[in-house]
Parts: sequence; C-alpha cells; structure tokens
Amino acid sequence: MTLGGFAGTVLVVDLTRGVITKEPLDPGLARDFMGGLGLTVKLAYDNLEPGTDALAPENPIVLGAGTLVGTDLPASSRLFSITKLPTSGTIGWSGAGGVTFACMLKNAGYDQIVIKGRADRPVYLEIIDDQVTLRDASPLWGLGVSATCETLWKNYERPAGVVAIGQGGENRVKFSMAYVDRIATLGRGGFGAVMGSKNLKAIVARGSRGVSVADRKGYKALRKSIFERMRAYPHLKEWQEMGLINSFPFVEKETYLHIKKRRVACVSCPIGCKDVVEIRDGDLKGQVVCSSSAINLFTPVIYGMKDYREAIKLIADLDEYGLDMFEFMGLMVFARTLSEEGLIPRDRAEPQIVVESLGSMEAWAGKIARREGLGDVLADGFPGVIEAFGEKAEALAPALVKGMHPYAGPGAALPWHLFGTMELGQVLDPRGPHVGSSGSPTYFARRPLEVFPKHLDRMGVPEDEIARLLPQGNEGEIAGLSVGGLLRHSHRWFAILGSLGVCARAQINRFYSASFCAQAYEAVTGIETPVSALRERADRAWTLLRLANLREGFQREREEVLPRKWFGDRGFQDYVSEKPLTIGESEQMIDDYYREWDWDPKTGVPTQRALDRLGLRGQE
Amino acid sequence: MSKYRILTDDAKCTGCLRCQLACSQAYQKSFNPSAARVRVDFLGVDCAIRFTEECVACGLCADNCLYGALEKSAEGGA
Repeated sequence: MTLGGFAGTVLVVDLTRGVITKEPLDPGLARDFMGGLGLTVKLAYDNLEPGTDALAPENPIVLGAGTLVGTDLPASSRLFSITKLPTSGTIGWSGAGGVTFACMLKNAGYDQIVIKGRADRPVYLEIIDDQVTLRDASPLWGLGVSATCETLWKNYERPAGVVAIGQGGENRVKFSMAYVDRIATLGRGGFGAVMGSKNLKAIVARGSRGVSVADRKGYKALRKSIFERMRAYPHLKEWQEMGLINSFPFVEKETYLHIKKRRVACVSCPIGCKDVVEIRDGDLKGQVVCSSSAINLFTPVIYGMKDYREAIKLIADLDEYGLDMFEFMGLMVFARTLSEEGLIPRDRAEPQIVVESLGSMEAWAGKIARREGLGDVLADGFPGVIEAFGEKAEALAPALVKGMHPYAGPGAALPWHLFGTMELGQVLDPRGPHVGSSGSPTYFARRPLEVFPKHLDRMGVPEDEIARLLPQGNEGEIAGLSVGGLLRHSHRWFAILGSLGVCARAQINRFYSASFCAQAYEAVTGIETPVSALRERADRAWTLLRLANLREGFQREREEVLPRKWFGDRGFQDYVSEKPLTIGESEQMIDDYYREWDWDPKTGVPTQRALDRLGLRGQE
Repeated sequence: MSKYRILTDDAKCTGCLRCQLACSQAYQKSFNPSAARVRVDFLGVDCAIRFTEECVACGLCADNCLYGALEKSAEGGA
C-alpha cells in the first residue's frame, strides 16, 4: 500500500552499535496514529522500556515530521519528538517549527527517526537522501548552537536542516533544549540534555525525493480555499509586520521596528513569526540576533533588566548555550533569594547574582552551561537546588509543576491572572508546565466569550457538547466555562494539528478546522478520514501518551498537583467572573478534564471502555 | 517570450520556500524544493532569490509569495 504524503520509511539509529536501519512504515500504524506527533507517541511507547532513566542510553528519542509536512498547505512544517524528559521524569512531547529541517527530512525519505543508545564519542547524524551516516562531531563539541549550525551549513548547503544542541545539552543541563536551524526551540524540560547524554551533537538533513499527494485535484481545491481565506484576512499584514509582538506588546512598536532586521518563516508559513534583529545603537551596536520570537528577546525586561539591548544580548547567549530562558530566569530569581537569605553562602554565589545585570547573568549562564561551581547545582534545575539546600529552600521556591517553573500565572514571567485552558494546561500536559498544547479558544489574551462557540466548532467539538462546555445564564449569555472540559478538546485539537504537522499558534490555527484537517489528510494520504475518525485517532495518540506515563508510575497526587502559590490574594481568578479561584474549584476542573476523556475522574486512569473504543486495550 | 517579468525583493524574503514548493509541484508533480526553477539561497541571515535557466517566468512563484518578495509585472521578458 503506497500512501501519499508519507515518505514511507522509519529510520532507526543505534548509537551504541553504530548501526542504522531503515524500516518500512506500517500503513496501519500510519493510519491509526495519523503521523507526526501521533506516530511519534506510538513509536516511543513501543521503544521505551518502563523505568528507564531519562539520561540513560536506553531512553529513545523519537523525532517525526507531520503528515502534511513537505506540502504547501500553510505552516505545515512542524517537527515533534517524544522522549523521557530529565526535569519532569515524564514522557513528554517536544515540538518546534520545523524551519527547513522537517521538510528536508521528508524529502530525504523519512517520516520518523528512532534514536537509541549512546555513542562512545561525539557524533552527528547525517541524512542525505539514501545516504545516512554517523559522523565524528569532535570538531563541533564545545560549540554553541549557531556556531554548530553554521559549521554544518558550510558542508551541507542550505536548505539543509539542522537540529543541534549547545554546551548546555552537552553537559546535560536539565533545562537545555535543542534548536532547529538555530532559531526554533525544541524541548523545554531537557530535550537537549537527552541528546547530550547520547553524545549526539546534531542531526543534519537534506533531501531531493519530493513529497507527493494522493488526490491532486482534491488537494488543489482545499489549498485554494484556505489561501483565499488567508489572503482575505484583514490582519495578515499586521502579523507579518509585527509577529508575536502583535499579541504580546512587550515593547513599543517603534522599538521593535527600530531593531527589526527581517522575519524568518518555517517552510510553507505565510506569517513568519521568527525574528532576526540588529541592535542599532549603544555598546552592543551591530549585534545581530536570531530568535524564535522577538518577544523572547525582551523577556529579561520583565525581570527588571532596564536596557532592552542588554536583554537581547542575554537571550542570544542563552540560545547559544541552548538553555531555556524561562527556566533560567526563574531559577536565577530563586538563587538570588536563597543567597539573600543566606542559604547559599556568599562565597559560592560569585559573581553576585543580580538578575537585572547583563554581566552577572551572562556569567551565570556560562557557569550553568559548563557546570562550574554553583552552576553545577543550578544546572539540575529547581529539584537539584532544593535537594542541595533543603526544606528552607523549598519553602522559598516559586510555584512548581513537575519540578519546573510555570511561565504563565501569578508571579511568573507572563503574569496572567485569569485561569483558562492554557493555565490549567500547565499542570495537565504530561511534559510539564508548557502552554503549547492548551490553546484554542482561551489564549493568554482574553478573548470575547462570544467567539468561543465558533472556535470550538472549528476544533470539531460537536454542537451539543459546546452547549455543555459553555453554560449559559438567564439571558442566554455565556455565564461560565468548563475549563477542564475545554482543555480536553484543546489537547485533542493539538494532537490533530501536531500529527498533521500544522503549527498550533493562534495566528495560523485560526485558518484550520477539524473538517478541513480531515479533508486535507484524506487528499494528501488517500486514507479515508471522516471527522469522526480524525477525532478518534487524535484521542488514541493522546491517550497512549497518558498510558506511557502511567506505565512509568505517573500519579495525579505527584505529577498533576496544583501549586498552592497559585491561589490566594494575588492568585489566579475565575476566567469569567474574575473572582479569586480556590484550589478546590481548580481540583474540580482536573476531575472534569479526566471525565471528559472518559478517564477515572479521581485518578486520571483511562477506563477500560475508553481503551476498548480506541483499540488500546492491553497497552495500559 | 516569457509570460511575465518576475520582480524580486530579497529583503522581504522569509525563506518559507513557498515559491519552490509551488514551482516543483507544477513542473515536477511533487513538492520538491530541490527541483524548483526558482531558488532561495540562504546567505547568513539573509536570503537571495534567483532563477534557474529552465524558468519560463510563468509567475506561479509570485502568485504564491505572501510576503511581496516575488511579484510579477504584466510585461513579458525576453
């Protein structure tokens, strides 16, 4: 059976033995798990021995490109990975804009890569069409992310795609990430450390085989319809001009335009949210910085850094080391507190921890990336610091979920106080506090309630369920939100988009609907896909991710605990009434989330009925 | 005689390769950036657009560029 869209091969790389095999993609698995994220979950489940440590050679990395990746449907370029993450100890997804990498991987002839074992020396994986080789990475070891990408691009001309780690990943910093084509981030939670633990510095892919669709006529009609809607979108130019600054105006428009050099898009994306900026004045004049978004570049300003140019320089340093900026900044605030309280002796906190100072923060980023002195403790993230400095330190820690710092909420980098799906999602995403899977329809910026039914309909939620999720008041107005119920649908929608390889960011996914996704999937692959089947396959993938974690001993009481610091006088508020939220009300939302999935409402274990419906019986 | 004259503005190019995808699909019947008659070269953080000798200036690349980096003028080229 030849499927359209799919490349048709899974690459299996055993780093310990240095053996690479190519396995034909099972068409039944491709159908049942859709591709991309869904198939990545399945391959990880099948290849992970329960109880494996995240940094052990036996922890597999599974990387996959979505089913639509390589076509020209808008923003269909996502790359996903599943592995056990070292900070949370959970099996989590990592996802990134594929820039050119995901498209090149498909063009080389591969849908997924399963990487096992540990190389006995630094290596990188070279994928050039049929030629797949492990190469010596000794000359790259010790280089930062951009330096690694640029070195590889000298040998493998662009649009060759590169996934690479910096010094943070090499030294197994628990909050290190990998970067795609130096600009898109992969793996808050320590994906970079997993690559580093395998002595795998980078993966480079370039291909020339092409990607074909099964039903060209059907595809052409769908493509035309989505592009007509996109071209007619009145805010398209705004998004293209301002990127994510459009939704998070962290700085004045004039400041952003002053430093904006150009925008970068992943393959097929008509918005292009990634940025290249140039500092135009001051001591850092001439510095050119690439970033997954300009809003990241200004994040240190939220933490008190006065000069935005210094903030940009710090984020550029963190990106070069391959460190997660949210975890780094949260951790440095915590370390400063411990130092002020005398829990960290003064002679260990050298140089002085000054979160507002570029010099201090650059020094600490380097110490962490190289694991020098106290940096070695900080490199193990919040759990490592708490273990080193004890109960008194734990009492001073910010809100934590699965050992990580939620970046949206009271006291966090994004101090948003209304509790919607993205906020609850920080607790219920198996990977740890991340909001990427939990949007539509409650993004950070509060949306008018009247748009919710339209968004839910677009996400494929049946009409009768929409009424239940949005309870009405006496005059027919939306009087509340079933946040737990809505989040269940956010996660299904994310699994659909992720499996197809479509970007889930608000400015893109607004053009997609479940109905369109089903038709596009069918036209590209040739696999009959009514919307009901699309929903079922997404549910199968997300439920299997749940089962994979339950198999590891994942428990509601430990992994899905609401931080107490989220509640109280300056805590989260109800999304609609804006009254202070209680922990009991939020616990109820978790019950609701489980119930909507047909999981046990107290434990979150999928019922036998749910497993039977999804064909997952026997995998619990 | 080409159908259009294709105008390029490298500064507006984001490297999305939509032009290469559309071109290869039209002439090679598969999405294959390496087989396209229009090419985006990545030069450091910049992009440069060029055309191969096979390009017939059909204008499809410009139709698919949403950034204004490729535009077609009505007058045909030689």
